[in-house]
Amino acid sequence: MTTLRRVAEAVMALLRELSDENAYQRHLAAHGRAHSPEEWRHFSEHHLQAKYTRAKCC
Amino acid sequence: MKILAHIVWAAVAVLGAYCLGGIALNHGEPINSIWLVVAAACTYAVGFRFYAKFIAARVMALNDKRATPAERLRDGLDFEPTNKWILFGHHFAAIAGPGPLVGPVLAAQFGYLPGTLWIIIGAVLGGAVQDFVILFASMRRDGKSLGQIAREEVGTVGGFTALVTVLLIMIILLAVIALVVVNALKGSPWGTFTIAATMPIALWMGIYLRWIRPGKVLECSLMGVVLVIASIFGGQWVSESATWAPWFTFGAIGLSIAVIVYGYFASALPVWLFLAPRDYLCTFIKLGVVLALGVGILFVRPELQLPAFTRFTDGTGPIFAGKIFPFCFITIACGAVSGFHALISSGTTPKMIARESHAYPVGYGAMLMESFVAIMAMIAACMLQPGVYFAVNSPAGVVGATPAAAVATISNWGFPVTTADMATLAKNVGEQTLFYRTGGAPSLALGMAAIFARSGGGASVLGFWYHFAIMFEALFILTIIAAGTRVGRFMLVDLTAQFSTAAARKMTGLVGVNVVSVVVCAAWGYFLIQGVRDPLGGINSLWPLFGISNQLLASVALCVATTILLKMHGPKFMWITCGPLVWLLAATFTAGWQKIFASEPALGFLAHANQLERAMRTNPSGNTATLIFNDRLDAVVTGIFLILVATILVDSLRAWIGILRGTRDARICEAPFVSSELQPEEV
Repeated sequence: MTTLRRVAEAVMALLRELSDENAYQRHLAAHGRAHSPEEWRHFSEHHLQAKYTRAKCC
Repeated sequence: MKILAHIVWAAVAVLGAYCLGGIALNHGEPINSIWLVVAAACTYAVGFRFYAKFIAARVMALNDKRATPAERLRDGLDFEPTNKWILFGHHFAAIAGPGPLVGPVLAAQFGYLPGTLWIIIGAVLGGAVQDFVILFASMRRDGKSLGQIAREEVGTVGGFTALVTVLLIMIILLAVIALVVVNALKGSPWGTFTIAATMPIALWMGIYLRWIRPGKVLECSLMGVVLVIASIFGGQWVSESATWAPWFTFGAIGLSIAVIVYGYFASALPVWLFLAPRDYLCTFIKLGVVLALGVGILFVRPELQLPAFTRFTDGTGPIFAGKIFPFCFITIACGAVSGFHALISSGTTPKMIARESHAYPVGYGAMLMESFVAIMAMIAACMLQPGVYFAVNSPAGVVGATPAAAVATISNWGFPVTTADMATLAKNVGEQTLFYRTGGAPSLALGMAAIFARSGGGASVLGFWYHFAIMFEALFILTIIAAGTRVGRFMLVDLTAQFSTAAARKMTGLVGVNVVSVVVCAAWGYFLIQGVRDPLGGINSLWPLFGISNQLLASVALCVATTILLKMHGPKFMWITCGPLVWLLAATFTAGWQKIFASEPALGFLAHANQLERAMRTNPSGNTATLIFNDRLDAVVTGIFLILVATILVDSLRAWIGILRGTRDARICEAPFVSSELQPEEV
């Protein structure tokens, strides 16, 4: 049961990483801010601008 | 315990060798796909456990006491120590594109064996090594890009040439994958509606994330997935509606224009509104489908209907012309060796590695996983009846312009198929016809649909799964087109900045962004239209161009990797990267030379142009003049690729000789050693 829970936690962590939710949490922690709609918009604009200047694989 | 481990690994190696021997020597009856799965899994396991570990320990000397850039430069954004399994998934999601799905399907025209062996051996000895070494090199250099590493370790010529090469590859890549989508959706209201519906869904997701529930990406993506699946059912209803079906039925040219316009808007719209939500959706669906396909293959264990070798090993293939060597090795790039991976391995991933030893499973392991995706695509294609496979993938210009002519030609090749077979299959998947759908996507979708339908639901759900697979492939490709057009824009600005900073600055203003977007779309759009108009199906000319360019980029990466190994250890370990480099150079230069100068019109661009020119003298037409121009343009583009890589190779050779003679500085440009202070709970 513990193994199953650990696998589920790892999968959720991966999904959060892929969805940039982890990156957002890191951004909040790094800047000492709390979540708000404005903060998300500020984060997503900067983070996504940088993310989509890099080549995507074929 | 150690003896037991030796026995287990010996058993894995023997089992792998037995299965590889089994698939290589069985030339008579259909073979079960499980042989391919076990052969691949065992070879990957042995390669990962012994070869990659040897490289990690002896060559790279990965040291967990050394702080990685993620720790030293930690900023909470790009640089962040990340759990190795999360990073493995992240890296795999970044390197897995449509290439490992489409390439093996096209290479199946030679039979299942050549492509399968290349996928397995190429990945273990070439592709995974390239990804691993470049990831290591970038990790030791503060996460620098391939171009920056090339400039520092090889020379400025190498760095600039790498930038131009990548931009050109990007243009060809976008054209060829757009062609795959166009050929999959032409005359298909079901598929076209489903894909069209993903656009408002992505826009809605963008608005939801921006204003309704900011930051709730997973929740929003889940709703997006549900809506996309609903759109597949909607597409079925549209295709059966006499009123709505014509609105979503397009020919190849109409679809091409739609895709080009889409590329422009998707790259010019704010990223948060369209591209990012679409990318989230695509990533989750991609991982889910890959997982489901793997489980489906293990559950169904289909038999491969295509033989080990077909008659087209002689170079007369209907999908693309050319013999196994070199064309099998450039047709399957991603899945075996892909130069594009070097851009990812020197992009985000090195900035997130917590411990140096994590580069081993992430760099080497993720490529093996991608190679396994390619094996699954090969299985999905080869489980089709050979006659059906060739009827779907062959262009009208090769097999005949009517279904009757096509089945007669294909049956004469020894792959029996009838128009009734094809009509029944088309009806079962909800299409009007499946003839002349070059590009690989529809035949892959047929194979995937058969696997999913046999896992549960049977023939009644074949149509749903076929269009689910088409949606998956097209969604995937169109997201890459949007992101690639945008990246192409930035590359063009970077390139301009090498000559004029003022001009580059102008390109980033509102007008400049739109003009550059139009230029990039026009560049790949031209090649797309060329492919659509090509009587030989477009794939015959564009996919080899893409394969050559991608493998040449891999050659660039391996040149850089060899230089680094040479500086680290002298000539002792050069063979690790030189081996795959020599093979790739031989394959790509031979393929490039043949595509330009071969005397067979189906193979050589110039021979085809000359043939058309002779035909035009007797029957002049405006379209023929365009085809002649296109052939010559393709010859020039191929020549440019070869010259660019020859330049980097010569630059690298000069560097290697200088290092070996002691006339050139052999110091490596690594970041200085800093002790890691990461705690176990942070990793």
